Amino acid sequence: MRQGVINEVYKLMKENKNIYFLTADLGYSVVEKIEKDFPKRFINVGVAEQNLMGIAAGLALSGKKVFVYSIIPFVTMRCYEQIRDDICYHDLDVIILGVGAGLSYGILGGTHFALEDITILRPLPNLTIFSPADETEAILGVRYFKNHHHPVYFRIGKKEEPKIYNKSYLFNFGKGVILKKGDDIVIFSTGPIISEVMKAVDLLRVKNISASLINIHTIKPIDYELIINESRNKKFVFIVEEHSVVGGLGSSIAEVLSENIKDKDLRIIRIGTEDKFIKKIGTQSYLRKFLKLDSQGIFEKILFYLYEK
Amino acid sequence: MTSKKLKKIANEIRYLMIQSIRPLESHHIGCAFSIVDIVVFIYFKILKVYPKNPKNEKRDIFILSKGHAALAVYATLQKKGFFSKKYLLDYDQDGSILSEHINHQVAGVEVSTGSLGHGLPIGVGWAISFLRDDKKNKVYVLISDGELNEGSNWEAIMFAAHHRLHNLVVILDNNGFQGYSSTKNVINLFPLDKKFRDFGWNVYKIDGHNFLDMEKVFNTIKNNENKKPNFIIAKTVKGKGLPDFEGKFESHYKSIDQKNKETILKGFDMNL
Repeated sequence: MRQGVINEVYKLMKENKNIYFLTADLGYSVVEKIEKDFPKRFINVGVAEQNLMGIAAGLALSGKKVFVYSIIPFVTMRCYEQIRDDICYHDLDVIILGVGAGLSYGILGGTHFALEDITILRPLPNLTIFSPADETEAILGVRYFKNHHHPVYFRIGKKEEPKIYNKSYLFNFGKGVILKKGDDIVIFSTGPIISEVMKAVDLLRVKNISASLINIHTIKPIDYELIINESRNKKFVFIVEEHSVVGGLGSSIAEVLSENIKDKDLRIIRIGTEDKFIKKIGTQSYLRKFLKLDSQGIFEKILFYLYEK
Repeated sequence: MTSKKLKKIANEIRYLMIQSIRPLESHHIGCAFSIVDIVVFIYFKILKVYPKNPKNEKRDIFILSKGHAALAVYATLQKKGFFSKKYLLDYDQDGSILSEHINHQVAGVEVSTGSLGHGLPIGVGWAISFLRDDKKNKVYVLISDGELNEGSNWEAIMFAAHHRLHNLVVILDNNGFQGYSSTKNVINLFPLDKKFRDFGWNVYKIDGHNFLDMEKVFNTIKNNENKKPNFIIAKTVKGKGLPDFEGKFESHYKSIDQKNKETILKGFDMNL
C-alpha cells in the first residue's frame, strides 16, 4: 500500500509544482524516486519530527501543499502539539502519511505499533482521517485529496495487503462502503484488517449467521447516515479495527449510535486491541492470531457475544 | 527614519499597550515591554508589509515565537495601520480575538503561537520555501531566552544551518528571565554566541533598546555574502519603559489594577 501511495503522490508532484514531500529520515527504498526527480520539493528533515511538522506548516503557510511521511507513532505522537496548534488550528493544506497501521511493524516491537493514533487525532477540528482498506482505495484517496486543502491524516498499511477492491471501484469520500449485505448483524471495519473480517463473515455464514460488512474508510468525518441506517433493526453491531478499542472506530461508532438509535436492545461490541501492552512480537499475521484479531479470532469473538446468555 | 522618530513611535506604542492592559487579568506585561524597541525597528525600518493587504505575497514574514508578548506586536500593527485603535483596545477582553498569546486571526499576524518552540520551525519552513522559489522575501523570528529550553528550536537551528537559510534572521529577546526564575538559574544558556556559531550561524550582539545598534546589525546582515542564517542576541530589560517593572522577574506575571493603570498612564513620560 505504501508504495502505491508514494507512486500516486509522485504523479501529483509531477503535474503540480506546488507540492512538497517531507520525511523524517524514513522511506528508504520507497521514496527515492521523489527525491531524484523533484529534489527541490523533497526534504528529509532528519530524525526530528517536531521540526518536520513545523516546517510543513511554514511551507503550507507560504502556499504549498505538503505531504509529510513517517511511521505512524513518530509522525502523529512525537509532534502531536504541532499537528494540533500549527496544522489544524491554522487549517493548513498538509497531508500526514502515516505508515504502519496497527501491527504492520510486528517484529520491530511496541514503539512502532500504531494502536492509538485514531484516538488522539479524532478530537482535532479541521482534520480528516482516512483509513484505506487496500492499495486501490489508498490510491483513489490520494487522488481525491489533490483538491482538498485542509489537514488530512492518511493511515497507511505497509505492503502486500490483500486486495479488497477490483479496478471498477468508485470511491466516494466520506461515504462508507457496503462490502456485504446481511440480515442478522452488522460489522463495521476499517483498514487492511478488513481482509480478515471478510473471511470471518464467511465463517459466520456457515453457522447461518448473516452479517453485513461495511468499510468505513473515512473515520472523520464519519458517515453518520449509513451507520445509523445499517444498524437500525439489528440486535448486534460489531466494530473490528487493528487499533485500540479505546477511542478508535469502535468508540466513534458507539458515539453515533448511542445518540441516534433508541432501541434499548442494541448491543455495540468493539473488537480491537485491548488496554494492555502486547507481550510478544511476531509478524502482523502472527500477532493478529495471537490477539485473536485474525479471521478465526474475530469469528469466535462474535459468536461469543451472539450466544451469550 | 531617524532614531529620534523611532523613539517617539516606541513611546507611543508603549502608551497604547498600557491603555490596552486589562486590569487584574492581563499578565506577561514585562515580557511584552522588553521587545517593543526591537519590534518597532523591524516593522518601521526593515519589514516589507502591506497594512491594507496583509497577505500580500511580496511581504516579508515576521513571526513572534515568544507568543506571550503579543501585546507589543498588536500595538505595533495598530500603529502601522493594520487595524483601528478601537480594535486594539479589545485586547484580553471577553469576546475578543486579541488573545494574550498572539493570534493569526488578527490582521498582520502570521502565526498563532503561545506554546514555545513552534515559531522557529515554522519560520524555517517559510524561509526554505522562499529560497527554493528564488524569492527575495525575508523571514524574521523573535524568540525568548526561556524558549530556547525547548528542543524543537534546536532541531530547526541545526536544519537552518545545514540548509544555509541565509534569508532567515532570528532575534533573541535576551532579558535574562523566564517563567520560574532567571535563565541563569534554570538552564544556563551561555555562552550562547559560541553555541550558535558552532551550529553554523552568523551571530551578532546588540543592545535591544538601541536603534543605532539595530541599524548597524541589519545593514551588516544585508551585506553579508556568506550563506548562513543569522542570529541576533539582543540584550534587553524585562519591562523596559515601565519604571516599576523594569528588570524585575515579577513583571512576567504581575498584573495591575485599574488604579495602577491610571497612575501609570498619567505619569507616563513620552520622552523616556
